[in-house]
Amino acid sequence: MKKYLLTFALSMMSLTAFAQADYEKIMSDKIVKLETTMSVDQFQALANDFDRIGKKETKEWLPAYYAAFAYLQKGRMLMQSGKMSELSGNANAADKYLDQAEAIAGKDNSEIHLLRKMAYSLRMMENPAERYMTDGMKAMEELQKAETLDPSNPRVALIKAEDTYFTPEQYGGSKEKGLQQFKEALEKFKTFKPKTALDPNWGKAEAEYFLNGAAK
Amino acid sequence: MKTKLLLLFTLLSFALSMAQTKISGRVTYKNKGVAEVNVTLKDSYDGATTDSNGNFSFETSEKDNKILVFTHPKYIEVEKSIVINNQEVSASIELKEQISEIEAVVVSAGSIEASDKKRATALLTPIDIYTTAGADGQISSALTYLPGVQKVGETEGLFIRGGTGTESRIFMDGSLINNYFSNSVPGIAGRDRFNTSLFKGNIFSSGGYSALYGQALSGALMLESVDLPDQSSYDFGVSPIFLNAGFQRLTDSKNSSFGASLGYSNLKLMQDVFNFNTDFSEAPESFNGDFNFRIKTKSGGFFKYYGMYDSNRMGVKTESLEPEEYDWSLVKLKGKNTYHNLSFKQKFGKYLLNAGTSYSFNRSDLDFSTEKNNVESGNTKLLTDGNYINFKTVLERKVNKISALRSGFELNGTSEKLSFNEFVQKHYKGLISSAFVETDLGFSNQLSAKIGVRAEYSSYLEKSNIAPRLALAYRFAKEWTTSFAYGIFYQNPESRYINVPVNLDFQKAQHYIFQVQRTSEGRSLRLEAFYKIYDDLIKVKNLSYIEGQNQYVQIADNNNGYGFAKGLELFWRDKKTFENIDYWISYSYLDSKRDFMNYPVSLKPNFASEHTLSAVAKRFVPKWKTGFNLSYTYAKGRPYYDIATQDVNGEKEYFVRHEGRLKDYNALNFSVNYLPNLGKKDAKAFTVLVLSVSNVLGSKNVYGYNFSMDGSRRSAVVPPVNTFVFIGAFISFGVDKTQDAINNNL
Repeated sequence: MKKYLLTFALSMMSLTAFAQADYEKIMSDKIVKLETTMSVDQFQALANDFDRIGKKETKEWLPAYYAAFAYLQKGRMLMQSGKMSELSGNANAADKYLDQAEAIAGKDNSEIHLLRKMAYSLRMMENPAERYMTDGMKAMEELQKAETLDPSNPRVALIKAEDTYFTPEQYGGSKEKGLQQFKEALEKFKTFKPKTALDPNWGKAEAEYFLNGAAK
Repeated sequence: MKTKLLLLFTLLSFALSMAQTKISGRVTYKNKGVAEVNVTLKDSYDGATTDSNGNFSFETSEKDNKILVFTHPKYIEVEKSIVINNQEVSASIELKEQISEIEAVVVSAGSIEASDKKRATALLTPIDIYTTAGADGQISSALTYLPGVQKVGETEGLFIRGGTGTESRIFMDGSLINNYFSNSVPGIAGRDRFNTSLFKGNIFSSGGYSALYGQALSGALMLESVDLPDQSSYDFGVSPIFLNAGFQRLTDSKNSSFGASLGYSNLKLMQDVFNFNTDFSEAPESFNGDFNFRIKTKSGGFFKYYGMYDSNRMGVKTESLEPEEYDWSLVKLKGKNTYHNLSFKQKFGKYLLNAGTSYSFNRSDLDFSTEKNNVESGNTKLLTDGNYINFKTVLERKVNKISALRSGFELNGTSEKLSFNEFVQKHYKGLISSAFVETDLGFSNQLSAKIGVRAEYSSYLEKSNIAPRLALAYRFAKEWTTSFAYGIFYQNPESRYINVPVNLDFQKAQHYIFQVQRTSEGRSLRLEAFYKIYDDLIKVKNLSYIEGQNQYVQIADNNNGYGFAKGLELFWRDKKTFENIDYWISYSYLDSKRDFMNYPVSLKPNFASEHTLSAVAKRFVPKWKTGFNLSYTYAKGRPYYDIATQDVNGEKEYFVRHEGRLKDYNALNFSVNYLPNLGKKDAKAFTVLVLSVSNVLGSKNVYGYNFSMDGSRRSAVVPPVNTFVFIGAFISFGVDKTQDAINNNL
């Protein structure tokens, strides 16, 4: 009897382990999708997927983090198609998830501060002339925090490079300097090791994309 | 063995449970598919997002009784129980709209809200005002480029829809500003005393405004002062006509700030450069200083204080209309003003308390005289000292997300001493006590109403009034809303005409406003029709003439005046069609007649133009860091009257001695602002250089005529200068505390 109990216990354990594996599997599936998709609808669907996972895994910060990232990517897609009035709505949605993620992961998370920066920038783009002094400044503040918290974070370097690349020269930006920064970011990506397989590890492809001259 | 079997069975059933079942369905709202709904099988990872037709489908290995959750920010979350066995599950659902502040239609008849809020299109933010050519950075001037506000150059005030400048009131954080405009002399409009950058936004109502406000027959401008600054800063402004410097300091706790500024302006230099129409015997000169603090309390309250002092002087010399008697008529002004405003705001659960108080003192010291053969004589002094105190408190209770109930009271105390040599000596004292209640009723995101009533008692008139207000808004298509507003508005007779005891009543106006508005990404279109009925307007008579007096004194006589105004207005703003270009066009048609003041009969008022068209365009060129702004105003010539008195059966009666129509008003204005440090991340200073040219084409506009005593001669009332060029530099040094903040947090 004891033996059976043990078997039973073991099989139950393996089942719970299966559940854990389930979380990791679904997360890594969705993360791959998140890094490859380019459609607004897909980003929304992924945000919803991560929301669902987050509701079940209330002790994990990553589902909320990725939900926020999905909203930010969606916002950035919308921005490229000129739908400026929809930007702050998505930035606000992202912020809501970042609050959730922060409640679990703590305030000293460089990755979360980086997404906050992206949310502020997105909001600013809705009306740059008016929001530069408020949202623009806060974006800079968050970026600085993200960098101070983890100077080796390659995504901070990537976003900085993007800022430099897309800012017109008269405003202190430069394509050349931007590319140089993408190179530096790429170096950081090469040495960067995410804490777990699911931790943020996006951005390398983007740096390569810019360096390969795909964005003109 | 049995146990073994049982175990196997259990494991099998676990494995079996991994078999996938398809769950699909459609999510609708009013039978139309809703996209982007998050469909979740509760307590599992399984779920889907609906497509553009509202369809969803997913597979799950879950079994038995489960709950499907449908979420979407614009709809109420719905849960639906389902039973999963081995068959496909179909679950369709009809959603209910989530009532939300963001989606709800806003009552907008008569008003244009200007702040960086959700109503993102019909805006006039501080930046809009600074970049409107011809507005001189003044809020009141920028408003003349919106529909409904007349271009009246000779007198300060907002002349709204056939109303006089004194029929509109300006409020700061809810409290009345008694002397918004600087003291001035007849024929030259006073300027805005308040710096545009003090206010983060404003609501401008050209009629049908809320019961929270009163004592304005035409319209109200509600200014909302700025909150805590983001960082400490120092500012300087330099131009040939003024100098100013100020600072704002944000304390380390970021819960409070204080600041002050000083300014001095003098038109003397420009007078030497430009050819002024007005002969200033003393160049307009002013000095001003202000102080402010803002404190956030630990319990979530917010105090704001703003106090200012200013003094100004000028002297104007005009060629005599009575050359037999004197060569020049002179007027000298010495003005002094101080204004203090303290407001408090706090949330208590469902309640929001807004309280504010303001005090102001204003002195206008006018000295009229004549000059013959370089000898000045006949000095008449008109000295007005006014003390004003206002108090207002509003308590708001949220009923649900889009409904609220507001009520409160307001006190406006006035004490004015006026002396006009020995001719008139008076001391006017009055207290207006008001109580009001208003409710926002949101029936759905598509339909809302605002119903209010205001009651006032005037201690001077010893009379009271009750004024109902009503507004409705309905969204009849995605981007289209329509609103209707009705209201009764009362206003005390202006104290400057109450020079002898007389039995008077409130003046009254009724507004009917109908509006259709379309708001879409970067564009807004507004069409508004209005009808206004005036009753009980003040009629005046001349105080009997005393030898040595060089001006007639008008005194309020009765409330027998009346009138109407009706019109149609169009507003179109577009930030989208042309890249980097923001432009708007407004057109107002106004038909008005009234019998009031000294009008002998009902006349088209001399401050109302039938057609006013204005266009504003702004283009910012990012490459050059430079903004180019143009504005143009056309107003059909207003009527003018020479009203004199004649004896009819021994009674003095007014009659129209001359009348006519002024030439049409035209002005094309241009301005450039250059921001050299824009976007420089390491820049210590932020600089704006401004060049503006008003009335580029040099149109010789005429605002009216003054007539001689006998009516045989007249002189035109014209702007002090036809074309004016302004250059200025504004520099601000931000004390960035970001680094400190980060270091403190680590």
